[in-house]
Amino acid sequence: MDTSQSQIQHYKNEFSAFEKNGASKSPAWVHDIRKAAIEIFEKEGFPTKKNEAWRFTNITPILHSQFRYSSAPSVPKVEKKSIEQLLLKETAQHLLVFVNGHFSKELSAVGKLPDGVLLTNLAEAVVSHQKIARRYLGKIAKTEQSVFSALNTAFTYDGLFVYVPRGVQIAEPIHALYLSSGAGEQVYVSAIRNLVIAEEESSLMIMENFLSLEENKNFTNAVTEIEAKKKSRVELVKVQHESAASFHYENVHVHQEETSNVALFSLAAGSALARNDMQVIIDGEAAECNLNGLYIVTGTQVVDHHTLMHHIHPNCPSHELFKGILDQDSRAIFNGRVYVEPEAQKTDSKQTNRNLLLSDNATVNTKPELEIFADDVKCTHGAAVGGLNDQMVFYLKSRGIGEETAKGMLVVGFAAEVTGKISNEKFRQYVDAVVIDYLQTKLGMKDLPEIVHS
Amino acid sequence: MIEIKNLHAGIAGKEILKGIDLKVNAGEIHAIMGPNGSGKSTLAQVLAGHPSYEVTGGSVIYDGKDLLEMEAEERSQAGVFLAFQYPVEIPGVSNSYFLKAGLNEIRKANGQEPLDSMQFLKLLREKMKLVEMADSFIYRPVNEGFSGGEKKRNEILQMAVLEPKLAILDETDSGLDIDALKIVAGGVNKLKSSDNAFIVVTHYQRLLNYIVPDFVHVLVNGKIVKSGGKELALELEAEGYDQIKEDAKVTA
Ligand SMILES: Nc1ncnc2c1ncn2[C@@H]1O[C@H](COP(=O)(O)OP(=O)(O)OP(=O)(O)O)[C@@H](O)[C@H]1O
Ligand SMILES: [Mg+2]
Repeated sequence: MDTSQSQIQHYKNEFSAFEKNGASKSPAWVHDIRKAAIEIFEKEGFPTKKNEAWRFTNITPILHSQFRYSSAPSVPKVEKKSIEQLLLKETAQHLLVFVNGHFSKELSAVGKLPDGVLLTNLAEAVVSHQKIARRYLGKIAKTEQSVFSALNTAFTYDGLFVYVPRGVQIAEPIHALYLSSGAGEQVYVSAIRNLVIAEEESSLMIMENFLSLEENKNFTNAVTEIEAKKKSRVELVKVQHESAASFHYENVHVHQEETSNVALFSLAAGSALARNDMQVIIDGEAAECNLNGLYIVTGTQVVDHHTLMHHIHPNCPSHELFKGILDQDSRAIFNGRVYVEPEAQKTDSKQTNRNLLLSDNATVNTKPELEIFADDVKCTHGAAVGGLNDQMVFYLKSRGIGEETAKGMLVVGFAAEVTGKISNEKFRQYVDAVVIDYLQTKLGMKDLPEIVHS
Repeated sequence: MIEIKNLHAGIAGKEILKGIDLKVNAGEIHAIMGPNGSGKSTLAQVLAGHPSYEVTGGSVIYDGKDLLEMEAEERSQAGVFLAFQYPVEIPGVSNSYFLKAGLNEIRKANGQEPLDSMQFLKLLREKMKLVEMADSFIYRPVNEGFSGGEKKRNEILQMAVLEPKLAILDETDSGLDIDALKIVAGGVNKLKSSDNAFIVVTHYQRLLNYIVPDFVHVLVNGKIVKSGGKELALELEAEGYDQIKEDAKVTA
């Protein structure tokens, strides 16, 4: 049996144990979803480099560890204090904490919410809010599109669940904190499953924050489903700074109705290998979508963003700005697919990917993939890979500033352009703080300025 | 203060400066004029230490030191300042952070204590008054989204804060309205002393009504082809460069 085959067997064994354990209490329809997914997983198997979507992203390191699904009782105890230390800044009034994929009531704190809002964990929601959960769970994500999503779906149990009723605005942002923790030799996989439903004319802001409690190896395999109804506004900010030994996969699936507005931001800084899929179906007229991201990698880290903007109806703007800072032998992959159907006239889509290489050994594979079947559209794309701008370096040096300090200022400035796209101020400040911390501790940069936005 | 001898320099294998000789003493203001593309900015950039330019001959002695051997930041720390013809935008870094970093590096290099935030802000506010800049510019990213004239004013603000010994102003007057021009000139005149010197690159005699030069030089095709007093600028304004270009051809 090769590694891939034995891994499939491993996850099947885990699945049997999982279905018998804590997850067994879930309603029958959830079991059905899981069962269908494990079959897809078994049939598809893990992707190889021959698979176009994984051409530059070698996942075999993930297959070398026997990651276990932790059943709720075996989840390690986490002190509240250790979380406060981890979070660099105060972030949100509503904090939901998950440890190795399981909701922790003790560590969470949900403030006062407008009437009708449901903010809880998925394991609870599939029981207490069965009707809503059942209508959407697994309906927005296309399990068959990615084997990791299938694997996640097979282990659907817990994650963030948010339902915002029609016309309701949640003013305070929601912070979902996903902690990974090891226990001695044992390595764990967290199958996080998030479901976000914004009804007509509602709005909310969410931060997904992925962190490791130790420098342990862990595997986060998450799927997030977002349903944005007519005229709703959803902002999702993802911060991924798990340990350097860990693996990360998340597939964010968005379904947008007319005149809705969705903005996703991804800060990818952690993990040995991190893959972020973002798939947006813009399924209504005059809906707007913004995808932005910043990745900061060093050592032998690999970070991958695969995005899809699927335009079905006319008059929809979609914008993407992804920027990368790469040091040492790191590698980044960006693949931006824009699919414009014949009906989707007056689509206004712009995609930009800019990479700053701080080392000669860092590599970037960037590829726009535009498939346009409408004739009256404005679709642009651009990609750049290069070092620091000489004119900028010279300008700073001409003011007495030394090479190292100049470099730090320019790297921070490079990052600021894209973190400035985050509209929620608390989130933006948090992301900026993580960026500075990361540049200092992982990339060894000193005397960095504070990030300012114009 | 600075002595340039037979300076040859170019970029990308193309020779632009073809033997420049210029001596500037403390307390003097020199104006450099000349047609587009004659090499004025190249001279300014070479003096400031832009690494893309290659010096192929000649020497520059500044304050008794070989300027061409120094890194750009060392030149700045030694008191050389260039107000750019095209100031560069630095996104994400505030104007005040940038200026404080520069000033403190210069102070450090000269054995002075760095200023703390309070001291710096006080100094910055004073200097901003000098160039009549609004407080909001302190916190905005360096030059980002500044209008052409605001960028030029920001250059003069930087000069005022860094207090250089030798300031080279490359077309700081271009793109300025008449009020801004007076403000910029006023800034220069206030900073002017018997210990410092200015090299002012300009296309317009207008500026020289406000910043009165001791010498005017005409740079054509990489060479200074004529030097004189401030009346030379008036002459050029009236007659253009044609006659000078002709004369240069004859002597070449
Ligand atoms: N990077 C470069 N590569 C090739 N040629 C260059 C480069 N930079 C400058 N030059 C050329 O060098 C010459 C001198 O340019 P410079 O900018 O010094 O002129 P200038 O006198 O300042 O002109 P202006 O009055 O228009 O500002 C020009 O012909 C210009 O095209
Ligand atoms: Mg010029």
